[in-house]
Amino acid sequence: MEQIRSLSQLLDYAKKIGAEKGPKKLSVAMAEEAGLLTAIEEARKAGFAEAILVGNGDKMKAAAEQAGVNLANYEVIDERDEPSMGISAVSQVSSKKADIYMKGQIHTNNFLRAMLNKEVGLRKGKNTISHCYFHSVEGFDRIFFIADAAFNMYPDLAAKADITQNTVGLARAFGVAEPKVAVLAAVEVVNPDMPATLDAAALTQMNRRGQIKNCIVDGPFALDNAVSEESAKTKGIVSPVAGKADIFIVPNIDAGNMLAKGIVYFSKNETAGLILGASAPIVLTSRADSTRAKLLSIAAAVALSDFNK
Amino acid sequence: MTMQCKASLRGARGDGIDFLLAESKKGRSMTLALACPYGDDALGAACRAQREGVVRTILIGDEGKIRSLAERDGYDLSGISVVDEKNDDTAIERSVKMVSSGEADLLMKGLVKTSSLLKAVLDKEWGLRTGSLLSHLFLFEVPTLGGRVIGISDGGMNTYPDLNAKVKIVENAVACYHRIGVPQPKIAALAAVEVVNPDMPATLEAAALAKMNERGQIKGCLVDGPFALDNAVSEESARIKGISSPVAGNADMLLVPDIESGNFVGKVLLYMTGGKGAGVILGARKPIVLTSRFDSMETKLLSIALGAVVARS
Repeated sequence: MEQIRSLSQLLDYAKKIGAEKGPKKLSVAMAEEAGLLTAIEEARKAGFAEAILVGNGDKMKAAAEQAGVNLANYEVIDERDEPSMGISAVSQVSSKKADIYMKGQIHTNNFLRAMLNKEVGLRKGKNTISHCYFHSVEGFDRIFFIADAAFNMYPDLAAKADITQNTVGLARAFGVAEPKVAVLAAVEVVNPDMPATLDAAALTQMNRRGQIKNCIVDGPFALDNAVSEESAKTKGIVSPVAGKADIFIVPNIDAGNMLAKGIVYFSKNETAGLILGASAPIVLTSRADSTRAKLLSIAAAVALSDFNK
Repeated sequence: MTMQCKASLRGARGDGIDFLLAESKKGRSMTLALACPYGDDALGAACRAQREGVVRTILIGDEGKIRSLAERDGYDLSGISVVDEKNDDTAIERSVKMVSSGEADLLMKGLVKTSSLLKAVLDKEWGLRTGSLLSHLFLFEVPTLGGRVIGISDGGMNTYPDLNAKVKIVENAVACYHRIGVPQPKIAALAAVEVVNPDMPATLEAAALAKMNERGQIKGCLVDGPFALDNAVSEESARIKGISSPVAGNADMLLVPDIESGNFVGKVLLYMTGGKGAGVILGARKPIVLTSRFDSMETKLLSIALGAVVARS
């Protein structure tokens, strides 16, 4: 497949999957908010998603009316308390009746608890669940993936290896055949007093020894030499990743969050996110996200679900 | 400096570690200061080194005792200067000062405690410290690998070096390799496995060292790791494990994680393969030869030769 280089192309790609192979099915926990239903409806109309809506029947009906959405186009499951909504929605995915688990108004704790449920959840062994932001930034010819800026707070090396592999899976689903992964730190040299640089070095070797696959990992990098070939050249860094990174693995949630939000607020860009590392893609958007951002997250989940088939 | 020993260290079959003897005899003779040569056969080795033209020897200690020992054991002291210092500590101090003043080029320990000698070496006023870490390098000729010469550091001096210390151990060894004619030594950072395991610190430090080398923080060599011993010395084993690295199977030096592992590997090489070797302490202004009483005469002589070659540049 051709590499997806912008988030508009991602939408086109999701539509193509819908047209050629049929829509993917979302299972939405607590689909009781109009903005959310609007995004789901757009995805349905674009032909790449349909949905099972789980929640309080009366409240879903009210939200649908407000959004101008006809619930007759959806399968609706009436549940009255949040934990049951989570379990009911996630069960649809683990039992293969749906492809993608999506969060509605349900509290994140209840949503994730259901996802981690040993019997009906989506945990893939001990694999770390992680979040990925993906951005298309004006002036760059490719999508940037940032992980983990939202879910894992202070991941250790083993978790970072999982986060990297999870994110590589998403980039590959976007048509990046062998993603270039830059493990970020404040500097591009190994400093025994800066754990992020040590983890970066370890991840590089794990990649070389085949412990992290289907990608090229290098690090530590400072952000500049990961995105700018010029900067990498000035620093004398010879690496296929330098200046060409697709994926940024950040050392912790603080640095990652500031990087992702810096991109959102300081650049012209489009941004969306996805939860990775479970046995199915997970869409976890916030009420504050625009309909477009929600739609993009659904499109990414559709692409990933299709890639993993 | 052109030397012919490169190939032998890289694993050419045949000439092995004896190139050190030939190298030590080229050019100006280096002068060895041997402190308190009262036994352990350091005296015999130093006399032989003098006779074979490996070094010029100065013996520092109780002259009467030295001469009667030499007579008893049949060592020829002709041409060897003896500096009479009856007290051990004074003899050590005098020896170290001879080296720091340039009167001698390398130091060797006789029958005194290693700690006494090192204390003198590290003296701030007249010692041999450079600000670097002292580390031990042992070069082995391994008969089972066709006489290939493989170094081990540090199996003798630093007990549990942290990452910073390992960097210095590598730098010391690299300077030594350059002097013995290997311009780009291949250094394998060893662990029990060749993969990175977050629960095994040796594998993490090996990965960090490999990266530091790539980023130009450790120069003049190729460092890779982690390696298990097999895939560091055997290309076949590296191939089976699917490791592609210029160091895999071709390591010139094994950087060991701690003194126990280094000691075990070294002693296996020395006592179970019929091999011989040469050891030296690096990181001081001049090399220090510190042999053990269990080393063969050949190994002691080679150690002096190694010290002389390192001292020359």
